Amino acid sequence: MKWLELVQVAGATLIAAVTVVVLYSLGVRLTAIAGDVSERKPVWVRPLAVVCFALCGLAVMFGLYLIIPYFGK
Amino acid sequence: MVALVISLALFFDFTNGFHDTANAMATPIATGAIKPKTAVALAAVLNLLGAFLSTEVAKTVSGGIIKEGSDGIQITPEIIFAGLMGAILWNMITWLKGLPSSSSHALFGGLIGAAIAGIGIHSINFESLLQKVILPAVFAPIIAGGVAYLCTKLAYTLTSRHDPESGSKLTQKRGGFRTGQIFTSSLVALAHGTNDAQKTMGIITLVLISAGLQQPGSGPQVWVITTCALAIAIGTYSGGWRIIRTMGSGLTDVKPAQGFAAESSTASAILASSHLGFALSTTQVASGSVIGSGMGRRGTTVQWGTAGKIALGWLFTLPAAGIVGALTALLVKTGVVGVIIAAVAGTAAVTYMFLHSKKSRVGHHNAVEVEEAGQAVQFRRKRKTVAASRAKDEAISGIKDEQVVSDFKHEQVVSDFKHEQVVSDFKHEQAVSGIKGEQKDGLS
Repeated sequence: MKWLELVQVAGATLIAAVTVVVLYSLGVRLTAIAGDVSERKPVWVRPLAVVCFALCGLAVMFGLYLIIPYFGK
Repeated sequence: MVALVISLALFFDFTNGFHDTANAMATPIATGAIKPKTAVALAAVLNLLGAFLSTEVAKTVSGGIIKEGSDGIQITPEIIFAGLMGAILWNMITWLKGLPSSSSHALFGGLIGAAIAGIGIHSINFESLLQKVILPAVFAPIIAGGVAYLCTKLAYTLTSRHDPESGSKLTQKRGGFRTGQIFTSSLVALAHGTNDAQKTMGIITLVLISAGLQQPGSGPQVWVITTCALAIAIGTYSGGWRIIRTMGSGLTDVKPAQGFAAESSTASAILASSHLGFALSTTQVASGSVIGSGMGRRGTTVQWGTAGKIALGWLFTLPAAGIVGALTALLVKTGVVGVIIAAVAGTAAVTYMFLHSKKSRVGHHNAVEVEEAGQAVQFRRKRKTVAASRAKDEAISGIKDEQVVSDFKHEQVVSDFKHEQVVSDFKHEQAVSGIKGEQKDGLS
């Protein structure tokens, strides 16, 4: 039986999906804060949101890089 | 015979494409992230791309379920022909019923049935069958569903906003997820291309090898890759609207954040599994994700009746396709006349189902009822708003494409009824001003 492979697939799925969702959610949340009408919002909120989205994109790219055999050699 | 099998394989690829569009595009269509027609076009292009990206899966397609090689049984084009017949017919039936069932299982089922009838039960490697088909079928929805559940919870926890002083709920502003869905659903489509187009390539290569036209052990040829990629892309573009309806609104009411979480899990699961070699079915992963994300958001109900129907469909996929495959194999055994009878009967059955499907047409205009119907109503009542102009486009395209069958009228009745509810609700204003995600709150 290939239990090890099953666990591997489950683990990889979990890590990849959680990474993407957490980063993107943080991005969404920070964008929301940046959009609030309020005086005491820090300046770094919007850049941080952009960083989150960028990291999320990078994570996806890295995943694709791992998968496409062309790069894997 | 070889040409016949290849064309049948390409047709299977086509049905695979339109059967599985739903996996990638049902949730973004349901949440209104992408317009239905744009969505299927996007999916088609990405499927095409995906098919070229990796041909790893193609090299191991039948994967030892049927014992091949020197010590095993020589698999003939006739067996493959019979197997494909079973797979195609089952794909058509489940599409007619709007059930998202696994195309790969249909293919395996057909081949297994054909091999048993054509060669004998000893030709099947049952251990390999258990490992490659049965176990993944059990675990695919569980893994994907669990991950999607967790991701949905995370997405909602991370973005739920309360006023720090009063503790009351602020505007949640989760619109960003709708944009995100465009990317995640694209990933799913790409994953589907890298996965499912390969199976047909593998089959065609198998046929070419068994007919002595290609060296055993070599990979798929370029023209095979190209035609398979094209076939699946065309299939995807023609869109399996019936299944999109089931996946998009039949299982649970999908919100952008849920859709995002579900698609991330689907894409991760498919890509991880096809890369690590424990092949999971795209369809089962996607269905599991949708259910998981439905359970992950408070106040959402999962339609367990529909989920049960889908699960039942999965149970039947292998044996049903197997039986058709076996019958075809028996026919084919009788000689050329048998092949012709099988081909004609198969074509007739497909044509009949296609004509039957015309009676109750499910197209891009009514695939996901709530969203589209709601927009059609807005168009009539409030022309000036932004949302209305968007709705206008879709309503017009919907009416143009459709010679208003009774089905569509029914939608209008339903939507009018729902509209009354919406009007009596202040949320109508929100919906009209373009916050589509909130619109569904108003309706449900």
